[in-house]
Amino acid sequence: MSAAVAVHAGTSANDTLPALTAPLRRLVVAAVLAAALPLLLQLPALVSGGIGAVALIAGWSALRRPLPMPLRLLLVVVITGAVLLGFGFRVGRDAGSALMLAMLVLKLSELRDFDDAKRVVAYALFSPFAAFLQDQGPLTLALGLVAAIGVLAAMARLAEAPAPPKPLRRDATALAQSLALALPLALVGFWLFPRLPTPLWGLPENAVARSGISEEMSPGDWIDLMGDDRPAFRVRFDGPTPAASTLYWRGPVLTRFDGRTWTRNEWLAGFPPPELPRGEAGVSYTLTLEPTDRRYVFALESPTGWPNGLELGFDATLKSTAPLRSLSQFRLRALAAAPYQADLPDALRRSVLSLPAEFNPRTVQLAREWRSAATDDRAYIERVLAWFNDEHAYSITAPPLGRHTADEFLFDTRVGYCEHFSSAFVILMRAAGIPSRVVTGYTGGVPNRVGGYWVVRQMDAHAWAEVWLPGEGWVRVDPTAAVAPERIFDTLESAAGDGGLANTLRPMLDFGDSLREAWNNFVVGYNAMRQSELLQHLGWHGAGAAQVGQAFVVAAGVALGLTLLVLMWPPKGERDPLLRAWRGFLRRWAKRGAVKLPDESASAFLRQLRASETRASDAADLVQRFIALRYAPPGEGVDAERTALAEALRRYRPR
Amino acid sequence: MAGKPGTFDRIDSVLARLPFVRGRQPEALPITLDRKRIYVLPTRQGLLVGALLTGMLLGALNYNNNPGLMLAFLLAAVVHNGVVMAHLRLSGLRITALHAEPVHAGEALRLRIRVASGRRSRDGLLVQAATGEPTKLPEGLHAPGADGELELSVPTTRRGLMDLGRLRISTTRPLGLARAWSWWRPRERVLVYPAVEKGGPPLPGSGGDGAPRPRAQRSGEDTHHLRDYRSGDAPRQIAWKASARLDRLMVREYESGTANDVHLEWSALRHLPHELRIARLARWVLDAERDGRRYRLALPGGVMGPARGAEHRHACLRALALLPEAGG
Repeated sequence: MSAAVAVHAGTSANDTLPALTAPLRRLVVAAVLAAALPLLLQLPALVSGGIGAVALIAGWSALRRPLPMPLRLLLVVVITGAVLLGFGFRVGRDAGSALMLAMLVLKLSELRDFDDAKRVVAYALFSPFAAFLQDQGPLTLALGLVAAIGVLAAMARLAEAPAPPKPLRRDATALAQSLALALPLALVGFWLFPRLPTPLWGLPENAVARSGISEEMSPGDWIDLMGDDRPAFRVRFDGPTPAASTLYWRGPVLTRFDGRTWTRNEWLAGFPPPELPRGEAGVSYTLTLEPTDRRYVFALESPTGWPNGLELGFDATLKSTAPLRSLSQFRLRALAAAPYQADLPDALRRSVLSLPAEFNPRTVQLAREWRSAATDDRAYIERVLAWFNDEHAYSITAPPLGRHTADEFLFDTRVGYCEHFSSAFVILMRAAGIPSRVVTGYTGGVPNRVGGYWVVRQMDAHAWAEVWLPGEGWVRVDPTAAVAPERIFDTLESAAGDGGLANTLRPMLDFGDSLREAWNNFVVGYNAMRQSELLQHLGWHGAGAAQVGQAFVVAAGVALGLTLLVLMWPPKGERDPLLRAWRGFLRRWAKRGAVKLPDESASAFLRQLRASETRASDAADLVQRFIALRYAPPGEGVDAERTALAEALRRYRPR
Repeated sequence: MAGKPGTFDRIDSVLARLPFVRGRQPEALPITLDRKRIYVLPTRQGLLVGALLTGMLLGALNYNNNPGLMLAFLLAAVVHNGVVMAHLRLSGLRITALHAEPVHAGEALRLRIRVASGRRSRDGLLVQAATGEPTKLPEGLHAPGADGELELSVPTTRRGLMDLGRLRISTTRPLGLARAWSWWRPRERVLVYPAVEKGGPPLPGSGGDGAPRPRAQRSGEDTHHLRDYRSGDAPRQIAWKASARLDRLMVREYESGTANDVHLEWSALRHLPHELRIARLARWVLDAERDGRRYRLALPGGVMGPARGAEHRHACLRALALLPEAGG
């Protein structure tokens, strides 16, 4: 029985395709796993763990033996379930790429013949791309490039499969050559292929929220953020840098309070944006935001200039029209902060005065007493800030609070950080009848001495307040600054101690970040706007999408022409120096009338020489040596003789 | 190697019927493959990669994702260059001569094609006849400037002058994403001997048991004389002792009166169907040659022999091969 099976397998392999040999299987598995890696690192831990386990099982089965059908089905069901569960059954772009990745690695378990191998290898190309959609950091890019190269190498090997594999070095050289040849066209495409100013299809909400400032705040919930030193955005000022104490990067403005949490009031979104102070003076700067998946642009107050695609909200925040899913860059202008919106519409006024009943009774009581004792709003605010300064302390290790957060913070624990201070301050204001709101965002930043720009990190997140004063408008008040200004403008890092290690590493870290910033500037943040700027630099003003398209066609034509020129460049002629010299010798004789026809042998030419040219005895001698050496087996003496003869043939001139 | 040959062959045969396509008319050698006769189409893997790249391009544009766009363009350029390289791998190849030793119908013809590789390297080329398996270009012909023969196995079905049909040279290198190929229809035709009847009666006039007559008569050495060996003589005829003595190969020549000659008569086999008649005569020619007997073949077109030897055998088989079809 087993003999019959073996014979059958042998013949069928012979009359279809050659068998997928073990080295080829290993190559395919390696290429697919390398392609899966960058995406795997971007998925939530549960999902990537599951897919990674399946990848190992499937890879093992591709190399050893196929899994039985029921087991494969079971794996499909289990991994699909795990992915959906991991994404909370929200099927979006991310869950989609995770599912495709799961199917890719599962495909390894049914690697039977060449067609399977070719399909799975081609299909693997989607994975580095999907990883780039998630993250554009250097690690992902490097892994993605490695993955693409691995897939191309596997494709090349499969294409020449039945042939015995060439040495690895030749493969690598061929691959490097084809990548180098691909560069001109790739660069032209990157720089000049017309970008879409608006997306073709809606961008689905990301299933996994990124860390960063959200649209709500309750005292005590930012602790994770305060220890996170990843950059939130980078800023490059055109002129001198404004004073650090004025660097307030405004984010979500929170007006609604439910007793515990501050949130935005969506009902107010229909109000027109306020008139902001105008003027040509001020700072202009370039803001490069890391992806947030939200729409806030953390602009310096008060924004006076912004590009298309951004809009000003009723609360003077700048928002993008689409969620910021990838690194985005904006050229912005700002004027030093000044009060604005002197006339507050009633609906807005009500919303920024409301407080939930039956919360914080002691705070409300205090506010009423102090306000009636004060001469005006400003005096009251001064008194509150002085109280904060005298009797409250800043610490990020604030004790947890119960139901009446402001009461407990103000009168009992008296220790807190920006969230506690801003929340309690706004409650104090509203209870005293002063319109006020919580503003979240970032303050300060760290200059990068190598790159000449500023980095604002997640740990620079901050919350402050804005109060509306009659006759003036909205004015920023930072109650935390009244307590611990140094804690705001110098951030946690420096508070942790000016350690020696951090200082020695600082230039290196700065250098690393400046590389990242340059990459962001030139590659990741490149968009339709920068594209038309690039053309303007080349002297092409007012270039729209059509002109960019023309430029692309022209440049792609040039790049293509160059590539073809290199590809079709005649390969080097005769490589054998002796033959090269021999042909030169024949050419020179042909000019003198002694022609060796292509079908004539060298000996026939020799006879011809001897018959016609009486003076050519030295030439005849050379021809005789050539006949002797042309097919002589290689050896040390022979090689030397060949070299000598080639030299003699080159020097010979028929007289 | 060539993916699923089925799909490609179908596309190929459709294309072959298009009026403007080269390689339909028989051509004289030598020919050089150039861009006018090289075709390139994506393979199935190539189509899959093309779809993926289109998806990547759209996705990257939509999300304004520059690394994704860079990847898509880089891969697209690599694929594009691969297509050009596949084309160049064929371009400039010269086919200078064609030759095949005749075989009997039903056997595989070993077609020898002389190829000059020209200026480029030619590894990964496949050569295939209209019927028959693809054959790899031998390694000796890969290097630039190489000139040599490749042997292609072509199945034969009928006797006579065989039209070789379309020969195809193709490659999917370097990445397997595109297949470049070229056709060429040789004007040269190759001779196919008739099929040989299996079994059937022995040579006429051989006493029924098929044993050759000379054997029976080999009682005395004096019934023959010796002569020099000529190519085509059966080894059994060699006089080894005499050869050793004289230091050159000698062959016994029997007294061969007309009584010893075999007469192979087309007209004597009137009772057989046309093709079987040819097959039997062909076998008798081979049998007579094997036995070292002289034979005479009488066909409607004329009489050959009596003689023996390779040339005579070829002349007889050729005449048999070229006999018209039954009723024709």
